[in-house]
Amino acid sequence: MDQWKLEPARDLELSGAARHRSYTRESGLVANVARFAWWSAMRASLKVLHRLQVEGNENLPAHPSFVLVANHSSHLDAMVLGSTLPLRMRDQLFPLAAGDVFFHTPALAAFSATVLNALPVWRKKVGAHAIQQLRTRLIEEPSIYILFPEGGRTRDGAMKSFKSGIGMMTAGTEVPVVPCHLQGTFEAFPPDTYIPRLHKVSVRIGRPRTFEQLENKRPGWDKVTRVLESDVLALQQTHD
Amino acid sequence: MTLDDATRERLFGYERALAHPASLGIVAGVLIGLVISGCLILCLRQRMENQTYQELFARWRSWCWLIGGIIAPILLGAAWTMLAVMVLSLLCFREFARVTGLFREKTISAVVVLGILLVNFAALDHWQDDRLFFALGPLAAALIVIVTIPLDRPTGFIQRVALGVLGFALFGFSLGYMSNIANVGNMPTTGTVKIDYRPILLMVLVAVELNDIFGFLAGKALGRRRLLPMTSPNKTWAGAIGALVLTTALVCGIGWSLFAGTPLQHLGWLLGLGILISILGQLGDLTLSSIKREIGVKDVGATLPGHGGLLDRFDSLVLVPPAVYHYLSLALGEAGPLGANQTFRILTSGWGG
Repeated sequence: MDQWKLEPARDLELSGAARHRSYTRESGLVANVARFAWWSAMRASLKVLHRLQVEGNENLPAHPSFVLVANHSSHLDAMVLGSTLPLRMRDQLFPLAAGDVFFHTPALAAFSATVLNALPVWRKKVGAHAIQQLRTRLIEEPSIYILFPEGGRTRDGAMKSFKSGIGMMTAGTEVPVVPCHLQGTFEAFPPDTYIPRLHKVSVRIGRPRTFEQLENKRPGWDKVTRVLESDVLALQQTHD
Repeated sequence: MTLDDATRERLFGYERALAHPASLGIVAGVLIGLVISGCLILCLRQRMENQTYQELFARWRSWCWLIGGIIAPILLGAAWTMLAVMVLSLLCFREFARVTGLFREKTISAVVVLGILLVNFAALDHWQDDRLFFALGPLAAALIVIVTIPLDRPTGFIQRVALGVLGFALFGFSLGYMSNIANVGNMPTTGTVKIDYRPILLMVLVAVELNDIFGFLAGKALGRRRLLPMTSPNKTWAGAIGALVLTTALVCGIGWSLFAGTPLQHLGWLLGLGILISILGQLGDLTLSSIKREIGVKDVGATLPGHGGLLDRFDSLVLVPPAVYHYLSLALGEAGPLGANQTFRILTSGWGG
């Protein structure tokens, strides 16, 4: 937004679902307005229906790029994390979402891309290439990712162990990663239900970390993953 | 709101869809052309490679959708025509914005969209002597220029403002003239056949699209000297002149029956109209070629299989409607301008002034 460029959209030659599923897509006015409406409605409904409580707001970096990671138990999780950010960041905010759920049909892909600004992660075949693309985007463009390193929603409420994708995206970069802990979303909107319940939801935002001293290799990735997992567990223990 | 019978008939009177013989002729001709070309592609299927066939068929199918999408609203009524023009303006501007990078400028894009909505509102309302419609040219341009000043971001000011004004001028204002032409409900005539906007718009659209095809065919058959090799390497002088001759002949032919009983049924006026449509059609095409050449892209999008973007198909149309509107108004003389005998201020009649 700061620099004017006489340059076509990167996804000019794509159309339909291929465009919505692409990591290079760029959005315009329609998506901008749709996201404004969506996130405004989300904030209001989380506040009113779920008495959303946010703790540690001051830990959020003032400018992109950064990554929010948290425990995952509900479709509400990404909405809660997105609602902690200022509305003006809505076009830079990319929830990483399961491709097989959120990008399955062309209509769903259009919604996920236009309204949620989600980027697909294909769980059965998360290639190194896809993660490399996500890493490059994070470094080269102001982007905010919402990422759930468990790789899926918990079915019993207990946190699963983290997968190393987050390490592959951030090891050896200066991009801050913010560990967060979500409480109440499992009770409010567990997997296998269709309508959220009126349950209180709260989020604790931890101190951001950067991993520029680690190498972008397997040991570095695992270190990032372990550190963030213990950060989220530590937030959980003090979360009341 | 004043919705008298004449206005209602013009806006929603689909019963009169094919009342004018020229409308009937054009629609029949286009449909026959589609059927014949479809049969030709099917018959020649054995003789060409599968990939060529697939491409040709995709192109033909896109044509079917396009032609249906253009003809249906025109025949249904002026209100639908204006809605279709508005949608076309918005889609063309979207592609223009995405190819030039203007889409990243949300504020300017929003003002252009607002301008497009207002232009079509002004046409639908048919404000006294269309003053609101004409006023929107300079007023929307001025708003595009000033709206980003408070953002205090002078870098790139000239380019983004100029692109905003160009986008509005070409796809909002210029294409919006087709909505204004849809205000013709009953052109003053000494003949017995009532002339409304339908045959006029159909003739313009058919002439513009065939102008492209004539140019392509004449260029293929006779083309040697290239017209503007830096801008568009495939265009030749033979193609340009061939299109000019054939399109002018076509416009004279259709126009003679269309404008029966008006001052326009005169060879001089009709020759002028044909030349105007053909030359401006080709220049519109070259305008988009210049834009694409500077940016360095082949197509402006991938909306229409076989064609590229919507704008790759409608590029020849962008300069034509204002010229046609003012030319016809001029030719009508005392009886003009177009749409002058229709009820004014359909939606805003209750508002002051």
